Amino acid sequence: MSSKTKAVEAAAPGKKTPLAAKIFLGIVGLYLLVPFLTTLVYSLFVEWTDVLPSGFTLRNYAELFTNSTFWLSIGRTLILCLVSVAITIVLLLLAMYVVVAVNRKLGRFMQFVCMIPYALQGVILSIGIISLYTGTGTILSNRMFMLFGAYTILVLPYIYQGIRNALNAIDANMLIQAAEMLGCGRFRAYVQVVLPNIVSGILVSSLLAESIVFGDFVLANNIAGTNYQNIQVFLQANMARSSGLSSAIVVVIFLVVAAVTAIVLKLQRSSQNR
Amino acid sequence: MAYIEFNDVVKRFGDNTVLDHINFGIQQGDLVTLLGPSGCGKSTLLRCLSGLESVTEGQIVLDGRDVTNVPASKRNIGMVFQQYSLFPNMTVEQNVAFGLKMKKVDPATIEKKVTEAIAMVELTGKEKAYPANLSGGQQQRAALARSIVTEPAVLLLDEPLSAIDAKLRKALQSRIREIHQELGLTTIFVTHDQDEAMVMSDVIQLFHSGRIEQAGSPVEVYTHPVSEFAASFIGSYNQLTGAQFSALSGTAVPAGHVVAVRPETIGIDRVRPAASDDGFVVAGTVTDSTPRGNVLRYTVRVGQTNILVDVLFRSFHMFDPGETVYLTLLKHDCLVIPENARSAA
Repeated sequence: MSSKTKAVEAAAPGKKTPLAAKIFLGIVGLYLLVPFLTTLVYSLFVEWTDVLPSGFTLRNYAELFTNSTFWLSIGRTLILCLVSVAITIVLLLLAMYVVVAVNRKLGRFMQFVCMIPYALQGVILSIGIISLYTGTGTILSNRMFMLFGAYTILVLPYIYQGIRNALNAIDANMLIQAAEMLGCGRFRAYVQVVLPNIVSGILVSSLLAESIVFGDFVLANNIAGTNYQNIQVFLQANMARSSGLSSAIVVVIFLVVAAVTAIVLKLQRSSQNR
Repeated sequence: MAYIEFNDVVKRFGDNTVLDHINFGIQQGDLVTLLGPSGCGKSTLLRCLSGLESVTEGQIVLDGRDVTNVPASKRNIGMVFQQYSLFPNMTVEQNVAFGLKMKKVDPATIEKKVTEAIAMVELTGKEKAYPANLSGGQQQRAALARSIVTEPAVLLLDEPLSAIDAKLRKALQSRIREIHQELGLTTIFVTHDQDEAMVMSDVIQLFHSGRIEQAGSPVEVYTHPVSEFAASFIGSYNQLTGAQFSALSGTAVPAGHVVAVRPETIGIDRVRPAASDDGFVVAGTVTDSTPRGNVLRYTVRVGQTNILVDVLFRSFHMFDPGETVYLTLLKHDCLVIPENARSAA
């Protein structure tokens, strides 16, 4: 059968992106860049009262980069992002194992639970957490841990959706069954077979979650304020001082988020190529 | 004692009984097909044997061991799924080696066995390819290699060819049959395609509504259907009610029975043949003719009854619609079968 079989098994041809689509995407991309570019220009000039700005300067950036509070707030924000997103991913992966491999009926319950944070306003969530844990004398009464917890809840729906879609796309249950038939236990199959195939989905959703945590002001300000100042609280504190400096902070936030995004996308691509 | 035994197996999903007291055995080395329409329970029975589905009642015995409550990973059963289910992050080689690694086979043996299995399914040269870069047929062959490389006690094939085009499907049917003969592996094949069942099987278990309607060799099941359902599912039997058959032949049919006649057993001529004690001749009018590969199927109107007649497609022996023809039906080809019979498997 070999020659016949091979003759009928043809590979699907590749597709090219049409030129019109590329132009359209380019225009949309430029439009989305306008706010960033104007903020960047504003941060690099002394005045912008006419059509063109005047008085090029790097003073705002020099002031920012020599401010240790700025670096601390950037570091805190990154730690908040990484820890909160990591906690959520681990918890969800364990919960989704139960849904995929043990009891699929729990899927609806999981979906309901994970969607609840969508309905929670930041103010309500932060006040709820503060009133529940402040003064309890436990580790959870620490403002930093409160923030970790709050962000874990905040990013739950986004990461849940990403993981769930990734699991559905590969038919995780079927893969686990196939591995079981080869002598592999369910949990081992989940770790060895399913997880490597949903890395892309996890990375993309964690990217979204990271940008949400990076952009949050309400939770950080209400729960920790200046006790554990993140970048948005730092920005708010400096807005009244200088609009040029504020613009420089916004530009740096954008670039940090873009850098994290680029790293995640690179990781995603390399995992897909493997 | 059979190699695999299903003893009074019942499977219910809520109030829905999918398997209704299944009892039959499979001999070692046989290729058995579970045949039936969608939703008849054949795949569920396969999954119960694999351990992926639990049984509600009854017992499954494999090689003298009760495996009813043994986890799937401990049953040493290989399975090929309809959707291939290759691991997307692994190459063909890694997929095939997976089961051996689970069994903690030494690396040198793994390499040797993987190479042999890949060669057996004619995928040599594709060892480093990922599933996404393989065609449907290649993926299914890789899945087959992955299942046989561990030398399972039983190989289960759950409609493995249903997503593959007709030409390739025939080629793979032959290859699966060849591999089964080479390895002598007890194999259970699930399909809803009666032609596929005929080609592949040593034994057919015909399913209907969660029960076994008929069991036997392909020839037995094809030539001696035991019920109306078996006759309609296995072949394109002409099924005549007692009244219709009596009107044609003048012979009475017991109440609650129908007469089934295979289209290819009916003779068709322009000239009325001589009468014979072995059968009877009826006159009719050709209303339609349909080419079906090397067979031409005529629909002949006899009184109020349409009768299908198959003849070899030879251009010098064709009848036109509207033409009067004479049909010869031999008595031993007219099978009197109960309307709703069930056989003990």
